[in-house]
Amino acid sequence: MNNLFMVVDATIKGSFNKLTRHRMPGAMPFGAKYRLIDFTLSNCKNSGIRNVAIFPYGNYRSLSDHIGSGDRWDLSRRKDGIFILQPKNLNLKSEDSISFQRMYEHIEYFIRSAQDYVIVSPANIVWNIDYNDVLVSHLNREADITEVLSFEGQRLKTFLISKTLLLNYIKNYDDLQYRNLTEVYDYSPSIHKNAYVFESACFLIDSPYELFKANMSLLSMDTRHQLFNPQHPIFSKETMSSPSRYGEEAFVKNSIIASGAVIEGAIFNSIIGRKAIVKKGATVKNSIIMNQCVIEEGAFIEHAILDKETKVMSNAKVMGSPDDLFISEKKQIVVGDEELKILQIAVECEPFVKTGGLADVVGALAQNYSKLGVQSSVMMPLYPRIKAKYQILLEMRSEAIVLYGDIKYKATLYSYLNQNTNYYFIESYDFFDRDEIYGYYDDGDRFAFFSKACLGFIDIFDELPNVIHIHDWHTGLLPLLIKKDEKAKHIKTLMTIHNIDYQGVHPTAILSKVGLNDIVHYHQTINFMELGLNNASTISTVSQTYHDELRYEYYSKNLVEIINRRDRDFYGILNGLSDEIDPLTDLSIKVTYGPKNVFTMKPQNKKFLQQTMNLSVGDEFFMMGMVTRIVEQKGFDILIPALEEFMSQPNVQFVLLGTGEEHYISALRKIEARYPNRMKLNIGYDATNPFYIYAGADAFLMPSRFEPCGTSQMISLKYGTIPIVRQTGGLNDTIEQFDSVSKKGNGFKFYNYDSRDLIFQLQNALNLFMNGDQTVKHQLIRNAMASNFSLEVSAKSYVELYKTMIGSSNR
Amino acid sequence: MKRSLIAMILVGGKGSRLNEITKDTAKPAVSFGAKYRLIDFTLSNLTHSNIEIVGLITQYEPYELMNYIGNGGSWDLDTIDGGISFLTPYAKSGNVQWQKGTAHAVYQYFNFVKQYEAEHVLILAGDHIYKMDYQKMFEHHLEHDADLTIASVDVDLAEAKRFGMIEYDQTTKIIGFEEKPKNPKTLHASMGIYLFKTGVLEKLLNGIDQEESVDFGKDIIPKAFHENYQLYSYPFTGYWRDVGTIDSLYQANMDMLDDRHFLSLNESKGIQIYSKSMNLPPHVVLEDGIIKKSIIADGSIIDGTIIHSSVGYQTVVMKNSHIEDSVLLPQVFISENVRLKNVIVNKGVIIPENYYLIAKKVVVIDNSNLMEVGAIDE
Repeated sequence: MNNLFMVVDATIKGSFNKLTRHRMPGAMPFGAKYRLIDFTLSNCKNSGIRNVAIFPYGNYRSLSDHIGSGDRWDLSRRKDGIFILQPKNLNLKSEDSISFQRMYEHIEYFIRSAQDYVIVSPANIVWNIDYNDVLVSHLNREADITEVLSFEGQRLKTFLISKTLLLNYIKNYDDLQYRNLTEVYDYSPSIHKNAYVFESACFLIDSPYELFKANMSLLSMDTRHQLFNPQHPIFSKETMSSPSRYGEEAFVKNSIIASGAVIEGAIFNSIIGRKAIVKKGATVKNSIIMNQCVIEEGAFIEHAILDKETKVMSNAKVMGSPDDLFISEKKQIVVGDEELKILQIAVECEPFVKTGGLADVVGALAQNYSKLGVQSSVMMPLYPRIKAKYQILLEMRSEAIVLYGDIKYKATLYSYLNQNTNYYFIESYDFFDRDEIYGYYDDGDRFAFFSKACLGFIDIFDELPNVIHIHDWHTGLLPLLIKKDEKAKHIKTLMTIHNIDYQGVHPTAILSKVGLNDIVHYHQTINFMELGLNNASTISTVSQTYHDELRYEYYSKNLVEIINRRDRDFYGILNGLSDEIDPLTDLSIKVTYGPKNVFTMKPQNKKFLQQTMNLSVGDEFFMMGMVTRIVEQKGFDILIPALEEFMSQPNVQFVLLGTGEEHYISALRKIEARYPNRMKLNIGYDATNPFYIYAGADAFLMPSRFEPCGTSQMISLKYGTIPIVRQTGGLNDTIEQFDSVSKKGNGFKFYNYDSRDLIFQLQNALNLFMNGDQTVKHQLIRNAMASNFSLEVSAKSYVELYKTMIGSSNR
Repeated sequence: MKRSLIAMILVGGKGSRLNEITKDTAKPAVSFGAKYRLIDFTLSNLTHSNIEIVGLITQYEPYELMNYIGNGGSWDLDTIDGGISFLTPYAKSGNVQWQKGTAHAVYQYFNFVKQYEAEHVLILAGDHIYKMDYQKMFEHHLEHDADLTIASVDVDLAEAKRFGMIEYDQTTKIIGFEEKPKNPKTLHASMGIYLFKTGVLEKLLNGIDQEESVDFGKDIIPKAFHENYQLYSYPFTGYWRDVGTIDSLYQANMDMLDDRHFLSLNESKGIQIYSKSMNLPPHVVLEDGIIKKSIIADGSIIDGTIIHSSVGYQTVVMKNSHIEDSVLLPQVFISENVRLKNVIVNKGVIIPENYYLIAKKVVVIDNSNLMEVGAIDE
């Protein structure tokens, strides 16, 4: 019997985006009939390995469905066999490779395994390898750990190690400075390392581009021979489909076609999955068409990855490029190139009126849509302050009487066309003629009335929008109103959650006031956000991590059930930053600067900040800054104890701008009093110019308990000020932990909501800035300034989502 | 464990009319439709009819068939208390009991039937192409309290001479039976699918040990009819072919090519025809490949022209070769510049460069007759 057992690392999430919404990378279809994990499992069978453990993350239903009992790979055994060892701690983040902590959760498996050596290898690697060759090399070289490299020197996250040594790492994971075998290999000084170079074809696949490249290389006979060696066959789940069928007009060149496919059109350089149908007059070029896709007559597809069961309608054109592949989502319906017409409905929008980030996003998306050729409009209430400023530009379009409750109210619609975006404003003396946007006793009525009025003015569009995109709770009644509206009911609705803590709870009577009399509702109050989430065709939030976090009650609270119920229609799209924010053009700061002169100019801004704040001046101080609301969400419960300890170091300074809850402010005041030359609070939103802090600080703190997206960290990155953040929401998606060896990363982050962990990262940053290697520090600042989170990218993602929505049967 | 219904499949026949094709293999193991074997249809029907106890009576070249079927897992027939049993000839008191006809085979294994205390026994052939829910036949059988139910299907007059022909009345009660008649009175052909009450079958088989050869069609059915048992027909209306001859095998392959929805093989509802996976990569079409009106199985590599043909798995067709109206059984290698029309190429045959055979009537090409039936074009 073989002396090897196998740990399949399926914890790797990769960056597949849409393709992994319903599966994990190991379950990704490959080569027309396989899944990625077939290669690793077949290699086990062919190497005589009979004891295999798979460590999956997240949604592994599709993977375990594929593996079944493992009998396809001879892994359905009395002794040993295949084990899927599920994560016990669902809050463990997916990492680059499997951690010892993750293995510790199933340490019994390792103890019980009878074999002396273990291979740890990812589920998302395509190759045909005999692991015994690795073992022979390991033994010959008397190594403690052997890493497998591709013939090009690429690291394949594949290691061979003795069970004894691995168990040692697993047992002591909490005390080790290495999280996984890669770190052991890279940093452990005391062990004997060996590299085994695998000379044949291999592809570690963690993005759609890698997937595309590997699939396309199957079209080369050489690669096929290396991967599909009849002596070491690749086994896959047994499925039924008849042989491929070719019609009279079929024309196929240089392609791989799986069984059950029906080919009546033209196919060039493509991979066609099982039971896919390509109809007459359709053309497929340089593409991957997965199982059960249907390409209707006359459609044209190039440089695309169509996920399972995608349907491309007649005469639709799908054209990606090698650098920008078109990727469909499972079961998507791809329609022709009909023009997208998007209407956003919100209660604030830049440049007209703004209280927070929501206005920036709505405004920037609207303008970017127009640039992308989308018909873009926004509808919002007409507040007096807008009217005052834009009066001469506003065109009166229509007047209507809106019945709300028993009362008829007059509403007037104005429009303003700016850079191809149509802005519509609804004027109502009764509801919007007020100084502020929010904060009135009748906010529920005001925004319910607004929603109803919007729908009343829908006739203003010659052609109805394809999608109405609403933001936050204010317009939460709209999806339901649209569903019930004869004219509008075919319009798809997208609701974006900007912050789930603000839900809009108002009296139930509002339902009948807007005319929703037939809704059965048992409570005294209605929840606008809940109604919106229940009724919108699709829902989204402002970062992928916040999207993931909302599955847990800790983040989504009372709405956890509905979020999980709508998981299939729930997307995360990261907000971006306006391109106008740039230290190179920011005339409000002491001296402007860019990546080229940051190291000479930024110190001047720091000096200016120290002077303005009446702090001790000098570059020997490590200057931390914050611009924030002073509320629980922003992490003050861990920040204050951390500051109490950390400020005691004589070379640390701290500046804060913000306003908020008094008990936090007074606690901060006490620390400030202790270190008058090193700490300064600016309480009140206008207390100082926030960009003095962005430009002058060395580090920017955001220890938030949760942060749906956050923009401050993106601003500070742009200003070369290093973010130190908690690993939550958009902070997690924008900040990559800096690694001083590889010099990759753009900031510092910690996971546990705990002062100790915050202090640890503060200390890390302090060490690097004060005692570290200057070139390393400079690289970190360069990395930060090179990070690019633009709203243009967000706009593109939303446009793709709109297209997906139009093509989906969801209502 | 007691069962009300078990099945026995007769696969003993040599299929001598399929000559070269069954030279080394039992007829039910013959390839069909590029990726299937004939036995797939019967086994898949059994699975979908929830009949879990299956006896396979084999005699002629059983190895390939047994190897193919294995434990029956590919057809979900590997259940704990059911499954497939291979019933092969055995020596009894030093005297080898070579089966003498189909009924004799069942007689010899009657203990298998008794072991399950089955009340009814379904007798099937292993070489028919069709989809059928045997439970419906069983319901019909029970409904009429039949001693024996024979499935029947309507055939063309020309075909009728090949089959046992059944006459039945409005209640489907059988009122006449003729084996391979010269002048058929009806067009209802027996499909060779018999459902017996176990007791009746036992009585009918009693004593046949002494006979030289006993067949169901030739002997047992007429005997049952004349001894006034209650015989009923179960009229079946779908596609059904007994591919006992080269022509019928070829024709059934062509039927599959011409009917996009042939037996709904590609649909995932209703009865699905399972087949043992060969673990082959998908097929590849190279730069010079042209394929029209054809079906191609996994593992093949096509660089030539395939028109209106069926190409079995792991077949290679090289450049400048032209295959038309033909059936390539699995693992065939067609070299460059080959011309073939109207042929069946037997499994594993290597066709040399410049070979041609444009046949008028269907011809089987085998390693043994390669140079007799065709020629090398110099």
